[in-house]
Amino acid sequence: MIDKFGKLIEDFSLSELRGGMQITAKEFVNKKITVQFPEERTPISPRFRGLHALRRYPNGEERCIACKLCEAVCPANAITIESHRREDGSRRTVQYDIDLFKCIFCGFCEEACPVDAIVETKIFDYAFLDSRKGSVMTKERLLEVGDNNEKAINEAKAQDAKYR
Amino acid sequence: MADIEIEIDGNVVTAQAGEMLISVTDREGISVPRFCYHKKLSVAASCRMCLVDVEGAPKPQTACSTPVNEGMKVHTQNAKVKASQKAVMEFLLVNHPLDCPICDQGGECELQDVAMTYGSDMSYFSEGKRVVVDNDIGPLIHTDMTRCIHCTRCVRFGNEIGGIAEMGGTGRGEDLKIEPFLQEGITSELSGNMIDVCPVGALTSKPFRYALRTWQMNATPSIARHDLVGSNVFAQTYKGKVRRVVAKDNDNVNETWISDRDRFSYEGLSHENRLLKPQIKLNGKWKEVQWNEALEFTVRGLANQVSDNQANEIGALASNTATLEEFYLLQKILREMGSENIDHRLDIKDLENSITLDSNIKLTELESIDYGLIIGSNPRLEQPMINHRLRKAVLAGADIDVVNVMPFDFNYRINSENIISPYQTATILAEISKSVLKSVHAKNYLSNVSARDSAQSIANRLLTADNSVIILGEHIINNPQAISIAKLISEIAQQTNSATLNISATSNSIAAEMANFVPGQGGLDANAMLAAKLKAYILLDIYPEYDFHNSVKALEAFGNNTFVVSMNSFKDKVISQCSDVMLPIASFYETSGSHVNIDGKVQSFAAAVSAPSESKPAWKVLKVLADLLKLQGFHYEDSTQITSEAVNQNRQKATDERPVSVIAEAKRGIDVIYQKSPYATDVLLRHASALHATKIGQVHLASMNKSTAEKLQVERGKKYLGVPVMVTESVANDCVFINARHPIGGKS
Repeated sequence: MIDKFGKLIEDFSLSELRGGMQITAKEFVNKKITVQFPEERTPISPRFRGLHALRRYPNGEERCIACKLCEAVCPANAITIESHRREDGSRRTVQYDIDLFKCIFCGFCEEACPVDAIVETKIFDYAFLDSRKGSVMTKERLLEVGDNNEKAINEAKAQDAKYR
Repeated sequence: MADIEIEIDGNVVTAQAGEMLISVTDREGISVPRFCYHKKLSVAASCRMCLVDVEGAPKPQTACSTPVNEGMKVHTQNAKVKASQKAVMEFLLVNHPLDCPICDQGGECELQDVAMTYGSDMSYFSEGKRVVVDNDIGPLIHTDMTRCIHCTRCVRFGNEIGGIAEMGGTGRGEDLKIEPFLQEGITSELSGNMIDVCPVGALTSKPFRYALRTWQMNATPSIARHDLVGSNVFAQTYKGKVRRVVAKDNDNVNETWISDRDRFSYEGLSHENRLLKPQIKLNGKWKEVQWNEALEFTVRGLANQVSDNQANEIGALASNTATLEEFYLLQKILREMGSENIDHRLDIKDLENSITLDSNIKLTELESIDYGLIIGSNPRLEQPMINHRLRKAVLAGADIDVVNVMPFDFNYRINSENIISPYQTATILAEISKSVLKSVHAKNYLSNVSARDSAQSIANRLLTADNSVIILGEHIINNPQAISIAKLISEIAQQTNSATLNISATSNSIAAEMANFVPGQGGLDANAMLAAKLKAYILLDIYPEYDFHNSVKALEAFGNNTFVVSMNSFKDKVISQCSDVMLPIASFYETSGSHVNIDGKVQSFAAAVSAPSESKPAWKVLKVLADLLKLQGFHYEDSTQITSEAVNQNRQKATDERPVSVIAEAKRGIDVIYQKSPYATDVLLRHASALHATKIGQVHLASMNKSTAEKLQVERGKKYLGVPVMVTESVANDCVFINARHPIGGKS
């Protein structure tokens, strides 16, 4: 009987509503944590494994030497490489394709690379707007990603260097 | 030698006294790392990698140079051994560059493998590494001498197997360089084996450079069909193409070596001249069609030309590189149709006078001969692997005499080189025969013969030797007295208990004989078929311009009113000019089949890759053709059924009753001995580009002496039959020796 009466008072005093509104009032004045993607972005680990890139040396020479270790280590068989002997006698790729539909973003290619040519950047918000073909990153596209993001890649590498 | 017992890692094993420790561990499957040791080369003991601990010895011993002794106790795994191996490995890596990612040897590198197992993960060496300038040593081998670890396997290969000391070490210590002695680089016909023996990436294949990593390829065992040996190889394939050929061990055939032409001929497979689609000729114009259309056209064409009771108006000719199964099916088709016009001997001028001589010595037995007589051959370039066995015999003390028309560059010691005119070859053999017989009941054709000194001494050596062999070579096939020469040889061999070795026909010609691919009763031989101008010909991988002794006659025969079916792997101008239908067939490594080697050993192989584009294995084409021709007995499901049928068929060898004549012909002309360049003997080789850039591939000369040159009214700088003339007194009288890369037209 007494319990029933107590419940009635609690209900009519709107204590739960006031508790809820209290949180609302608190958050109304607190600092906001919502990130307005894509205008705003959360910080990403330097070890983040996103879209691939092929890098160049500062003098513009592509780093990749067609050793095919990334192709060999790739657990998803996503990488296809054809090598040849360039006119200057050096070993280079004629084809370097990564199929992003096959790729599982494990980062083994980056680990295997003896010359830091293939890297996984922090880019994750890409889309294939033009058909199925767009999923295959060709050598030209990979180099372009590398050229456009060289600074970010270098920074990420520098941040991670002390843990390696 | 007596068996003794030694103890390795606590296990008792038996060994032969005097044997090196490393051969015992290899046999027992105990792993001992090594670089300089190679089972077929002499022991250098220079890399120090095979150190093992022998109880009682103060320091670790090299397993490759330590003979076993009764009661010896050896440890291959203890701490002392491991420490020494690690130290040696570090020492070897001091100057070795870390360029494995761009090294073609990466993945199959002995240094890489051993370093992974025995090496340390870091080096104490911080000074600059040694850099060595590379030499260009020819179109077959690429050098990266900075990677060299001075094991000297290539040097020992050159000295011991190749027979020419072409590589050597210059300088000492840090400055020691392995390099070719001469500017022209490596010229040996077995040079490609240096790539195989090199444990690191210092010597790699030039045509294969940077093409693929070794782990990407599948290896299919196969047989090389370029010579009479049938060397065992691995065809390494990637994405349906043969990308490299390496040797496969077989002690009864090619040991562990293969010749350069077996190794590099695969390059021709992807040549742009490959015939890829069936084509038929309609009103003089070529048209690409589907297989069924082409085959129906073929059957219709054959029927139009030849009515039912005229089957003998059809002839079949095949190149010597065809497989046993192809020879067998083609002859079976012809015989089922009722024609006996079947032949594979295309480059013989006079088939009435063609050689028949059995070989009765095995390849392995060639090593243990103590006397050999070579007649009309330059075995080094014509049959490199047979020459290698002869060289081994000479190194073991055998004597070799040679009867040739000009001196050739042998890579072993020759006892006496008899340079005599082709018209005298039969005579000198008769003289030898007479000296051998000596007895009163000499044959009557020997009555007028008196032996010269050289013949007598050859006869004496044949009589005194326990194991002797007489070798009949390719230069004799068109000798005016070829059959007499062959008969005299078999007679001398009988009298002196010698073996005979017939290397006058090459490639897969023994398989052709085995498949009975020769004219039967009433059939025409190759030359007669051309002369008779038959109504229809079936050609199996034949290129008239190159393959016939008289290509002008061949082109006449394949002229207007005939129906010519060409089954070809390559196309060229001449073949498309003279055929009416071209059926694309598979080439080497693209078909299953068999090669029969000089031992009579049938070596079957599977296809390593499928035939390119629309071309098909010839045995399949022939089988379907037989079905379309409504012939019975061609229900084969795979080539092995054909193999067993071909091997088990009854063959009757006709006895040769042609008379021996040794009377020097009164009317002598000038004998032209035409020898195709060793890298132009078959169609695949003719399209293998790297081989043609080598010194051997470049040879293109008509050699003759001064009096012959005067008779022919040519001189140095001019051409004879389209081939540059070289005048040298070392050539015998009345003969021209032509070694040519391309055909020399209607030869005399």
